[in-house]
Amino acid sequence: MHNQSRSKYNSHLIKLIVALIVAGGLGYFARQVFMPASMGTYGHYRGDDIVDQLNVPIRLQTNESCFQCHRPIRQIHKEGIHNSVSCEICHGPFGDHIQDGKKVGVLPVKKGKEITQLCLRCHNKVIQARPRKSIKMIGLPEHLEQKGVRVDHTCDQCHMVHDPLLWINQAKRMMGIKEAI
Amino acid sequence: MSGAMQHGDTILALTNYVFPNDVYVHWSLMIVLYPYITGIVAGAFIVSSLYHVFGIRELQPISRFSLVFALAFLCCATWPLLLHLGHPERALNMFLTPNPTSAMAGFGYIYSAYLILLVHEILFIYRPTMVGLWMNSTGIPRKLYAFLSFYNDNLSDEAMKLDHKIINFLAGLGIPMACILHGYVGFIFGGIKANPLWATPLMPVIFLLSACVSGISGIIFSYILIRKVTGKPIDVTCIRTSLKFLWGFFILDFVFEMLEVFSHFYMSTHHWHVLESLLWGPLYTTYWLLQVKIFSLIPFFLLGAVCLIKFKDRVVLFVAPIVSLMILIQVLLMRWNVVIGGQLMSNSTRGQVSFVPEWLGREGILAAVVVMAAPVVILFLLGKIFPFWMSEEPKDS
Repeated sequence: MHNQSRSKYNSHLIKLIVALIVAGGLGYFARQVFMPASMGTYGHYRGDDIVDQLNVPIRLQTNESCFQCHRPIRQIHKEGIHNSVSCEICHGPFGDHIQDGKKVGVLPVKKGKEITQLCLRCHNKVIQARPRKSIKMIGLPEHLEQKGVRVDHTCDQCHMVHDPLLWINQAKRMMGIKEAI
Repeated sequence: MSGAMQHGDTILALTNYVFPNDVYVHWSLMIVLYPYITGIVAGAFIVSSLYHVFGIRELQPISRFSLVFALAFLCCATWPLLLHLGHPERALNMFLTPNPTSAMAGFGYIYSAYLILLVHEILFIYRPTMVGLWMNSTGIPRKLYAFLSFYNDNLSDEAMKLDHKIINFLAGLGIPMACILHGYVGFIFGGIKANPLWATPLMPVIFLLSACVSGISGIIFSYILIRKVTGKPIDVTCIRTSLKFLWGFFILDFVFEMLEVFSHFYMSTHHWHVLESLLWGPLYTTYWLLQVKIFSLIPFFLLGAVCLIKFKDRVVLFVAPIVSLMILIQVLLMRWNVVIGGQLMSNSTRGQVSFVPEWLGREGILAAVVVMAAPVVILFLLGKIFPFWMSEEPKDS
């Protein structure tokens, strides 16, 4: 047995308490050393982070940025019913295409069935929350059947994607149809 | 590159209308493992407390093992979060600039406090063993054991009484802390009011009960496995008692899980239609078929039979690891169905996405396997320092 032990019965507890106090003190000291200097300047965050955030490269731009180069589209898009729709909604972020004034990548251009999917993201009538007065809501294939076209037609076969009513209105003028669309 | 290209592998199909910010399952496999590992820790600690605090003598053989088991898993409890968030170097910032109103940061504080408590409880419980090993070893192990016994070889009655008081205090404090640790994880999901699958005050309760269940199963399974592999006898009374506790906790856990779905169904709140389409849609296989029918009902009846009917020892030893493993899988499925399931429905309440985890990558299946294997390796290494079983202690001490 350890009756001959030279340690006191509670020496381990005292050592532990001292070690915890020392660890706490070290933690307090470490906090003073490592605390970011601008912490709390404006609130519970690093004040310098505002500068960091300002320096984050901007990925999204306005349509005017796109139109600087894509001039023919500019004319069509601005006169069309989709003139308030951002180019980036369909094509993706400007920053993936242009950085520092240089072309860095090609943005995706939807083709075929993908175009129908893209249009239905906004125009699908199952989206109950959409404002029906301002956005034309349709269901497929009823819309195609109603218009008397094949049910495998994609939207862009009748609608010009940058001005969806351009061809429709042209056709109606040619046919002499006058009623509102 | 478009977002869909970046996440393309994990997205299979969208149905109906999904808001653009609901298309991707951001909390993926690692966030499934986070409550799973934390739950195992809390459950294993409760097994140890059943002996140390509530005096269930039959559990004495696994009382020390369950603490070391809890520590091994606790060491890895933050790994999934660090992998998910990236930037592990920022992990300690929450101590530099603590934000008491951040619900997410709460885990850091609760985890740290619990880790400190668990390590101290293990050191005090193991002190006589450490002193014995200190006296009987040389070289570096001798220094290590001396350090782990606080350089105090006094094992007199007075010293042991003091240790016993400290152990009782730590174990008593540990129970509410283990409950808070895992109740908190449930709260973090239950508190997300925008998600109808998660937002229920029952969530912390269900998480806590499933934690107890997974911890007890983990202990039973690993105890039998280690004893079998090392060719040592298994204490069947201990296994029978553990199975009784497992059954008790599992009844509560399973009933609460079902009651939650039933309450949603009965109240038919405006969210029920989306929950219904989720549970009978993309979650049907993992929820109804796997979690409920196979991995809940079968262990439920098996446990009932083993607890109520006096089977022979070898039947119990055959059924116990199977049931424990099935319940471990059940809890993992439950975490999957809660964490992933909650993100498969869009806030439009009219659309769903489906999710298949990637193999490689920081949050892939391979990383998940490594994270789940790590506690086992750590347990093996801890076993080299802290003998799991009383019989392995040197007689000298």
